[in-house]
Amino acid sequence: MDNRIYIHIDMNSYFASVEQQANPFLRGKAIAITGKREDDQEQTRSIVTTASIEAKMLGVKTAMSTWEAKRLCPSLILYPGDPEKYADITRRFNAIFQEFTHKVDEFSVDESFLDVTEEAGDYLGATFIAQAIRTRLKEECGERITASIGIGPNKLMAKLIGESVKPNGLTVIYPHELLAFIDTCKLEDLCGIGPRMSERLRELGLFTFKQIRECDLKRLQKEFNSYGTWLYESAHGRENTTIHSSVQNSSFTSNHNFQTYEQPKSVGHSYTLPHDTHDPLEIKRYLLTLSDKVAWRLRRDGLLARRVKAFVRYGDFSGVEQQRLFQEPTADGYNLFQNAWMILKRLYNPEQAVRLVGISVSELSCGPGQSSLFKKEQKMSSVLSALDQIQYRYGEQGWTRAVLLNTKLKSRSSGFHFDHEL
Amino acid sequence: MHTFIHDPIDVTVSFSQNKILPKLMRWNERDYKIETVNLVHTTKEGNKRVFYFSVSDLTNYFKLKLDPEHLEWYLVELYTDG
Repeated sequence: MDNRIYIHIDMNSYFASVEQQANPFLRGKAIAITGKREDDQEQTRSIVTTASIEAKMLGVKTAMSTWEAKRLCPSLILYPGDPEKYADITRRFNAIFQEFTHKVDEFSVDESFLDVTEEAGDYLGATFIAQAIRTRLKEECGERITASIGIGPNKLMAKLIGESVKPNGLTVIYPHELLAFIDTCKLEDLCGIGPRMSERLRELGLFTFKQIRECDLKRLQKEFNSYGTWLYESAHGRENTTIHSSVQNSSFTSNHNFQTYEQPKSVGHSYTLPHDTHDPLEIKRYLLTLSDKVAWRLRRDGLLARRVKAFVRYGDFSGVEQQRLFQEPTADGYNLFQNAWMILKRLYNPEQAVRLVGISVSELSCGPGQSSLFKKEQKMSSVLSALDQIQYRYGEQGWTRAVLLNTKLKSRSSGFHFDHEL
Repeated sequence: MHTFIHDPIDVTVSFSQNKILPKLMRWNERDYKIETVNLVHTTKEGNKRVFYFSVSDLTNYFKLKLDPEHLEWYLVELYTDG
């Protein structure tokens, strides 16, 4: 575990940089990539998923609502995200990383960790690798798409180091410099310490990493359980997660080329409606669309679900949810919808306008379900199988239910996955 | 002004160093000389891989789609500065 060398690579203002690479008229301007791809130029119900470097300098931040961002920066250009484009570039830069080491961990759509211990030999070798990666990124992705790179003895520290110089930084901290470096950082800089935890630590009189190091481990464990141990170790610059070689784990092939596959515990989708609504028909249509998406993912991955959870969020951001277990596991979208609607119609308050609808299924099992004795259900099973063939061949636009012809989900850009790849 | 469209277009291309580069685009009975190809990316439509070319002339950004199965070009996005 000791003496390993990790590189953390974080693409700078990723979605915005990709758009500035694609469209030269956006370069040098404050732009914000919005969460949903829509024709509405105002995009009033969206959020900022990425602000360009220029927009960040004017105070625009990720996850800010678009109206707030516009209020802060009236000249801000709101630009709809293009998740399929970002996914392709993400694949491209992760393929570049694989040229240098097989130990690549895709942390999110714009961040990866590389274990280069064997390939680099030492920190100087790691710095050469980082420089070479930077050159390859420029060749393959374009000069506007830049990255901040950190080199350190473990993933946690490499990330902290990389994020200390943005944008386009390349920062190396040798093990003997690590504690001095950590002591220059704020608690919230460390991945794993959020604003609330930082506040709690302050209440305990812990304002710096040095103070956490000097704190009794037992006191931290009493206060935070296992998280206390993690805090203590982190303050010493220690972390013990590893990256496994993707070559050894290449049995699973999918869009996620370099990740190992674990069966999900749940599958779900939620959607913020284009406007708050009281109309049960509209809510039902979105719920059915989401149920079909969930069911498709189940069938594609050979899964069946026995539990369904339905939820709504109202215009005031309060919400209700409930779940229900059913006898026979299923991967039929209409079946899931019926169960989810049975929950919602009793649960939700029709007096309150609904802003978001969602469905999630769990208690997942593998393999084909028992074939039904009833002819109608047997026929439906054949229909689903035929529809799946269409969807494999033509994509998710290949078929839709007649009742859903006017109900379209707009694709979203988010930080951890791309909807179209789920 | 950012517009999403899906208009069939005529494109003149060059093949060079194993790359395909759009050079001229004809849309709405008007020719646009493509100055730079800024980014090329691909997506999947079911089993089919389609190509997108983000290109620009002196005043416009165009996103062109090439359907390699049918060898058809479409203009799918237009962004005009100002």
